[in-house]
This record gives sequence, structure tokens and C-alpha cells, in this order.
Amino acid sequence: MHHITQHLHSNGHRERQSNSSLGDRQDKKRSIFHHESKEEKELREADNAQRETDKQFITQWEDETKVLSPDDIVRDPDQKQVGHSTHLRLQDFELIKTLGTGTFARVWLARLLSKQGDSNKVYALKILRKVDVIKLKQVEHVRNERKVLAAVAGHPFITTMVASFQDNDTLYMLLDYCPGGEVFSYLRRARRFNEATSQFYAAEIALILEFLHEKEGVAYRDLKPENILIDAEGHLKLVDFGFAKKVHNHETYTLCGTPEYLAPEVIRNTGHGTAVDWWAFGILIYEFLVGQPPFWDQNPMKIYEQIVDGNVRYPSAMSPDARDLIGKLCAVDTSKRLGNMNGGAQAVKDHPWFRNIDWDELYYRKRPGPIVPHLRGPADTRNFDEYDPEPEGREPYTDELKNKWDKSFADF
Amino acid sequence: MSLPPDYANELSTLNREILKHKPADVLQFCANHFLRRLESQRAEYLLAQQHSTANGKGMAESSFPGSNPFKSSSSPGLPADQQARGMHSLEEEDENDQVASPTASSFPRNIMGATNNNTNSHADSFKAGSSPPAAASAGTGAMDSQSFPSNYNMNRRTSVSAESLNPQSSVNDNWTPPFHKKTADQQQRLRAAVSGNFLFAHLDDEQSTAVLGALQEKPIPAKDIKIITQGDVGDYFYVVEGGTFDIYVSASGKLEAGPDGLGKKVNTVSSGGSFGELALMYNAPRAATVVSTGPSTLWALDRVTFRRILMDTAFQRRRMYESFLEEVPLLQSLTPYERSKIADALETVKFPPGSHIIREGEVGESFFLLESGDAEVYKRGVEKAVKMYKKGDYFGELALLNDAPRAASVVSKTDVKVAKLGKDGFQRLLGPVEGIMRRIDYEADGAVDPLAT
Repeated sequence: MHHITQHLHSNGHRERQSNSSLGDRQDKKRSIFHHESKEEKELREADNAQRETDKQFITQWEDETKVLSPDDIVRDPDQKQVGHSTHLRLQDFELIKTLGTGTFARVWLARLLSKQGDSNKVYALKILRKVDVIKLKQVEHVRNERKVLAAVAGHPFITTMVASFQDNDTLYMLLDYCPGGEVFSYLRRARRFNEATSQFYAAEIALILEFLHEKEGVAYRDLKPENILIDAEGHLKLVDFGFAKKVHNHETYTLCGTPEYLAPEVIRNTGHGTAVDWWAFGILIYEFLVGQPPFWDQNPMKIYEQIVDGNVRYPSAMSPDARDLIGKLCAVDTSKRLGNMNGGAQAVKDHPWFRNIDWDELYYRKRPGPIVPHLRGPADTRNFDEYDPEPEGREPYTDELKNKWDKSFADF
Repeated sequence: MSLPPDYANELSTLNREILKHKPADVLQFCANHFLRRLESQRAEYLLAQQHSTANGKGMAESSFPGSNPFKSSSSPGLPADQQARGMHSLEEEDENDQVASPTASSFPRNIMGATNNNTNSHADSFKAGSSPPAAASAGTGAMDSQSFPSNYNMNRRTSVSAESLNPQSSVNDNWTPPFHKKTADQQQRLRAAVSGNFLFAHLDDEQSTAVLGALQEKPIPAKDIKIITQGDVGDYFYVVEGGTFDIYVSASGKLEAGPDGLGKKVNTVSSGGSFGELALMYNAPRAATVVSTGPSTLWALDRVTFRRILMDTAFQRRRMYESFLEEVPLLQSLTPYERSKIADALETVKFPPGSHIIREGEVGESFFLLESGDAEVYKRGVEKAVKMYKKGDYFGELALLNDAPRAASVVSKTDVKVAKLGKDGFQRLLGPVEGIMRRIDYEADGAVDPLAT
């Protein structure tokens, strides 16, 4: 009991609970109906106390956050208030609506339930079934995602992982709710963005990539309008770090991303790094301005053939600066790709297409974005589409799987 | 009472223009400026109108969650209510939230080729007019609508990923690709069969040999055997050695029960043909069903083997380049990250015996690392080779530093493979070599920069 209560009082800085003790705790909980020893009772009470502290914390984190400079974010990740493993449970939340689905995850709008009555605090709760994660061979990706999200928390244009937790068969990541919905939805409705809007969004993405690559050594690897949300002030939030990976000095090989946005070196499997994000950035700007990505075919192999060729064709009305930038980002030769060359992200920011951007003002969110969502309240979901309900009949997370894999999920 | 923000915007744009151009005739300049503004704003407005009328329903203002991303102002920081004008210019697409994978057979037909049919008169007339100053740009909202392929897949795109490949672990487990012996004839046929496939076109000899060796013979004993089934997850790529196979596509995206379950027959492949190549990328559902028409023979290759061969060779080559680079004194101060960037940019070039790799007296553009084979160094006026280069040696590195002519010739003695790095490539990635050298001098001696004077 002592080590638990101790870290209850340790202000702000929160130790991680090891997974084995988490498992113990749950086993103990199951047995309390038969008999509860004194120690078990103490453990349970300590767990509940911690859980209340955690609940208290997640209602307040937003009040304390201000935009941190990139250097402050990387300074001491462990000192951060947010992004830690907690004692929260699914029962602490009311699931309101599905915000998005992936092949092995579902994101819910979730409201925190509290004793004082309905709390008006809402979050995006990403729920991953351990068995699906294992079956789809995504264990490494999920671990990377949690690690990277914890490290980058505090960036103005990246979703904040407030906390994570797990139970017997499920992993949870509690994220800030971004009520504007996906840039994807706005783009498809508008068909394309005008140049000023595209520049504004692209500039915020450039700041994200600069930070991820140069401060964190992280390649994001799945840039596309579907993964960019708009917050209440019209600024962007990058979400879904399922493919993000700390690459450091070395190239990586696992093919991942979205067909239209894959870089040539990913397709050819020659090893890739952060340069893939600058390629995808060029595709993204093109899609903002034109309404569809430059390489497309009904047959995905033909998309890849076009990508490896790297011959981008531009509509006649596209401005010369935009063409120049896209051409330099979508360079098949990584030694000629802007962002990957000497100067790094700064060379991208210095491109004439961004000449109207005040980078400092942008980073510190001094002005609202070009599209400010109309909202009725913090839990308004009108900007999100409807999704099919979760399919029934899930595979069980067996003891055998648990013994083999649960240690891989210890961070949650 | 404050002035309308739109007006203030226009004036500040004009102010910038005046400052920039410092016109002699101010009044005429202003008149011209506003005429151009009006022209571009109207052009955009008309285009937007055209969008909504040509494609049916315009977007109702209340249904659009936010302000207008099409506004012509170049300042994105305006409050929402000032941007809400021009809502009619937005067009609503039919939302279809079904998550469609481009690998599914429901992926719409491609008309990407239409992208370059720029027949739109508005776009032309817009270009023909005096081009508006940048600050008053009408933006790419003026892109011609006819050139827009109307049936691009507008749905959300699903992410894809293949099995996790970790070169470090593959070094440890001593994996070698499977090897299945083939006759010279078979090899020849296989080479020809995959030559048109871009996934194979980029392979070097070593990779190509490993990949062809890994193809495994698969006898098909009878007709009506389904080699791949539409909708199933794909693992293998196939090349036809002998016999013919029919390809069927079912409109539902997967094989259905019953006599017509295969769907429509779309093609036939025979000897030298291949199918299932997407399986070499990631595990996407099969887009068609392929059925044997009689006893036949296939060659099969699975994704993990293919991608691992590619990875292992790339990984080994990069580590080799990095270790070569470590030996070059000129580049001693490179960080591991920088070395890895340079290794990424090295280009393999082959020379048959007796070729000049560099020529004495010519201006050097590139630096070379000798990957395999032997080369000899000759100097004018000296009959015999003055030096011999073998694997791991490097030459021509001074070309990175200056434009001085080559001091000697290097001639291949055997078949030679070199990794080549151009001065341009080096400077693009790391800046001038002088900067790199300065680093050493500072760090090693703490002395005054010798290149500074």
C-alpha cells in the first residue's frame, strides 16, 4: 500500500504502474466477493483513491495547458502532466458516439462520469482490442503510437494524449476531443481549398513535421486529410499515430501508409525515414489545391507505378509557386527532396509559396484558422460522420494470448 | 464606427502594392488595381457558380460546418462571420462513409487521363487577362472544373501496412532466402515474365537473382482449381510457366456461392503471364478470382520473402557504404545520421574491365567508393599502374572540395562496381564540404579556422 499512496501525493509527477501489479489488482478485484484480506482491501482502496485522483486530473489538464515551445515539449517528457498510464476504467466514461474507425481501433466521443453528477468534460477515447491488435500484427505499431503520443504531448497542432489505461482485454488512449471533424470532410465538401486556406493548413503541417522530425526523430508515415482534424479555433490537430515511429539515424523498412500517399522508397523497399513525410506533404498540398491526389488509378499497382516514376502533372491554373513547391517535395530522389536536404524543414518554410506566413504567430495560435467550425457546445458531434455499429462476436483474449503478449502492453 | 473589414483588407492590399511599385501616377495605379481585383473576384465567383449548377445542388449555408474555405481574401485569420459570404460557391458531394479500400474491386474507374484536358474557357480567359498581383490572388479556386475527374474515389482511404520488417532481427536469425533451382531456360522465361513489372524493374542483379531463385514451382494438377479467390487476403504472386488460367471478377467484390459466383470472365493468362502482384506489397483482398483451365504449372513468390530480400540487400549495402565512409578522412567528422543520409544518396555504377572511371586532367564532379572488383591508377607519362584499388577503397574525394582537375586516371581492371556520390548531391544534403572540414579543425585543435582566411 505504501508505494501506491506515496505516489498519490507526489505532486504532478506520476510514476508508472507496472503491468504485473495492474494484473494483480484486477485479479484481486474479481475475488473480493469471496473473501477479501486486509491487504487486498487496502490495495482496492488505494486503487480507487488513485482512480479518483486520475479522474480529477483529467478534468483539469486543459486549464493548465498553454502552447509550449518545441524545446519545452522535448525538455523532460516525464515531467509532463499528460500522457501517463492511469487507473481509469472504461466505466468512468459514457460512450456517446463513434468518431472514427480503423481496421483494429474505434474512436469514441466519451463523457467523463463523476459522482458530482454529469461532468461536461468530453474526450476522444481510442479503444483497441488486444486480440485484434495481435491478430493484425500491429503490436509494434500500437506500442510506437503510445510512446510517440506521450512524447509529443503539448504541441499545438498534435492531438494530446491525456492518459492511457487498459483492462483485461482492451487498451485505451484518452485524447483531447477535436470538435471540428476531419479536414477530409471539409475538403471533399468544398472540393478544393483556395490558395490562402491551403497555405495556412500546409504551414501548420510543416510546423508539425519540423517538430516530429527534428525534435523527436519521429517519422509520422500516414499524412492525409483523413488524419487531420480541425479544432474549435480552426487550427489543425494531427491524429492517428499508428504508424509513427522514432527512426533516429536509421532507415526503417516496414511498408505502411495510404496508397496514394506512399513515397517511392517505401514502395521499392530500399529503406525509408522522415523524408517520406515530406513526399506525402507534397501530395497533401496538391490534394488541397486540386481536390484529389496527383497519382491515382483504380488499380493500386498502377498508382505505385506512377509514384515510382514521380511525374506530377499540374492543372493549368495552379500557381507557379505551388507547382514549384510540390515538385520539390515530390522528388523521387531523396537527395533532391525539399525538407530532407540541407536546412531541413526551414528550407520548406522559406519557400516562396509560404511567404505570407508568419511562422511564430502561427505556432502560438495568434489568429483563428480559415474555417472555424460552428459548434453548439464542447460535445457537438455534427462535424463527424455516422459509422456502422461495432460488429458483434469478438474473438476472446485467451489466457494463452495474455501470457504471451500482455507484457508488450505494459506501457498502457 | 469602424470600417468594414473587407474594405480594410482591400486597402491594406493596395497599400502594399503602392509601396512595392511606387507608381508615378497614383490614381491610375489604383484604378488599375481595383479593376484587376474585380476581374479576379468575378472570375472566381462565376466559376463557383458553374460548379454548383453543373453538378446539381449547391450547398445550403446551414449545412456547411464552418466558414468558407473558398474566400478570395488572402488573410486566413478573419473571423468566421466575415468569411461566411460566398457560401453558394461551395458544392456538396454525396457523402458515402463506407470505408472503401482502393484494393477492393468497388474502386471506381480511373479517368485520371482527363486531368490535362484543359478546355475550360474561364480558366483561359482568366489567364489571358492581366495577371493579378500576388496579394490579390484569386487563388486556385479558379482551377477549371472540366479538368476535374468527376469519379475519383471520394471516400476515406484506408491505411495499409505489411508485416513488420526489422533488419536487425533478420541479421540475427541468419535468414537466407529460399532457393529453388531452375534451368537456364526457366530462368530466362521468368526474367522475361517479370521484366514488365515495375516492382522487378528496379532490382539490381543481386536482388534479381535472389528473387528469381526464391520463386517456387507449383504444379496445378487439373482444371477448375482456384489459384486465388476474390476477396481473400493475398500472400503470393504467380508467374505462369505452362497452361492457361481464366480471370473472373465478381461485382460484389468477393467470390459468391452458386454457378455465377465467379462473376464475369475478364481475361486469360498463359505462359509468361503473371497475376497477384499486389500481394507483394501488403495483404490486400484479392481483386479477382483466377481459375486453372487444365493441368498447368505456376511459379509462386510470397510477400515476406520478396520484401525481405529487398530489405536485406538494401540494409547490407547501406551498412557497407557507411563503413566505407567512416574510413574517408575528409568525411571523418560526419555524424552517424549524416553518414546514413550520404549512404542513402550513393548511386551504384558498374564498369566493365578497361573502362576509365575517372580521367586525369578532367574536372571532377564525383567521389567514388569501390564496392567490388579491382581498379588501377595511371598517371600521364608513367607506363605502369602507380596504384591499385580494391574493395573498400575510395578515390576522387577532392572533387567534393574543389574543381581542381583529376590528378590521375582510374581504370577498371576487372568488372567493377562503385558507389558514386556527386558533389551536388553531397552539398544538397549536408551543405559545402568546407563546412564539414571546419568542424574537425575546431574540434580537434581548438585552433583558428584555417579555411577562414
